[in-house]
Amino acid sequence: MANYDPSFAREVFQNVDFGEEIKMCMQCGVCAASCPLSTEMDYPPRQVFTLIRAGKREEVLNCNSIMLCTSCYTCKVRCPRKIPVVDVMHGLAHYALKQGFVPRRQPAVFGREFWAQVYKLGRIDEKDLPRRYFFSEGLVAGIKGTLDFMDVGLRMLLHKRMKLLPERKIKGIQSLRKMLDKAERMGKGGAGA
Amino acid sequence: MKYFLYWGCSLEGSGKNYLASLEPVAEVLGMEFEEIEDWNCCGASISYVGAGDLAIKVLNARNLALAEAEGSYDIVAPCSSCYIQMNKVNHEIGEDPELASKVNACLAEGGLKYSGKIRVRHLLDVLYNDVGPEKIREKVQKPLTGLKVGGYVGCQSVRPYGEYDSVEKPTIQDELIQAIGADAVPFPNKMKCCGSGIFLSEIDLCLTLVKNILGDAVAHGAQLVSTVCPMCAMNLELYQDRVNKAHGTDFDVPVVYLTQLMAAAFGLDLKRGAALDCNIIPPEGLIKAAMG
Ligand code: SF4
Ligand code: SF4
Repeated sequence: MANYDPSFAREVFQNVDFGEEIKMCMQCGVCAASCPLSTEMDYPPRQVFTLIRAGKREEVLNCNSIMLCTSCYTCKVRCPRKIPVVDVMHGLAHYALKQGFVPRRQPAVFGREFWAQVYKLGRIDEKDLPRRYFFSEGLVAGIKGTLDFMDVGLRMLLHKRMKLLPERKIKGIQSLRKMLDKAERMGKGGAGA
Repeated sequence: MKYFLYWGCSLEGSGKNYLASLEPVAEVLGMEFEEIEDWNCCGASISYVGAGDLAIKVLNARNLALAEAEGSYDIVAPCSSCYIQMNKVNHEIGEDPELASKVNACLAEGGLKYSGKIRVRHLLDVLYNDVGPEKIREKVQKPLTGLKVGGYVGCQSVRPYGEYDSVEKPTIQDELIQAIGADAVPFPNKMKCCGSGIFLSEIDLCLTLVKNILGDAVAHGAQLVSTVCPMCAMNLELYQDRVNKAHGTDFDVPVVYLTQLMAAAFGLDLKRGAALDCNIIPPEGLIKAAMG
């Protein structure tokens, strides 16, 4: 095991949602063995926690593991110490992005467009979101992405599985935004209420 | 039996065949649904990119608060992702008074308040525990005899609390499949993740996950796969030819919602009641069983 360097761990406990939960980790590896994507990850979840204890800030905040998580919750269900591994992974990813790291490009872009739409409308528009996602990387990438997905979109349309009207803002959108803004100020690492 | 049906962002679009079959099935079973007036998105599993955890909690708490003010019925989520989001937030608020007061401080910005009275439940839970397999069996007009159904549970529908079924070995979807006369085909990967929210951003990984699920279902004899989540249904059905191209497989496995199976077994119109015309891969075995 790597050496112990508490500075980054302290940063994680203080600023990362669910960060303090990793104090209880006993490094059994159950989460890593259960994770459907651990073979694709730079480090399986257990090792991410070891790296935090060892003070490896860059490695942790840059590793694809924290953004490949699909939220299947297998880790949370199985962890003998009841650590919500999935929530820690999401917390780390959110913090990494806020600090300017990009642990994995595509989910970061998709996720940003997703949240932007929630904030703008209060709901997701299933047609508009993929479009925004494809075009967020420029016109050429947008056209290519759209063409690549033409088959899928067309089949959905033909089988009536596309809502034709655009999603409109919910009525309470202004007050929802106020609530969310306040939550961001009051949340971990926020500016305060 | 009255509930709030939480539509979520898919039920009018990609999950059309879910809603279109759920409504007539619910009517047969005597369930009544109301919409939560002006509900918002649950944030699904990808919001963490743009939002901190407290904001995600507040997003969900707004729906809970609206429901509480509008009648306090249980909220039924047919989407596993909506279910896990809302249910998790509801539990976390309930277990932590300090968090509850923070969340309420945010809700107050919009004149709302949540006192913790709502229960969030998955559609499967309600079908099994409130309606029950007995009553469902009574309503069957066309038992789906001989149809081999792989009941795909997915990962989020019973997790993380396992409130109504085992988190490791769930059985109730299979019991409901049996109740309508079909054969439930158990397969070990029925709880493996379909990729959910990474379906666009990590397509290759998603294809591998889908291949492992479908391959396992087929190997265990399933003619078709049933689901209880629009994300699962989309990933499993829509990506089959991509999986075939990428992995040299030849999947052509119909993917239907459990409610579509029920509608067909209840003798409802296969189009207007079971919405089978919305399926991209036609569920021929099901049509035959329902006609026979
Ligand atoms: S399962 Fe829990 S205790 Fe074991 S390594 Fe993972 S987080 Fe740590
Ligand atoms: S929730 Fe995320 S980290 Fe946990 S097992 Fe699933 S994919 Fe892996």
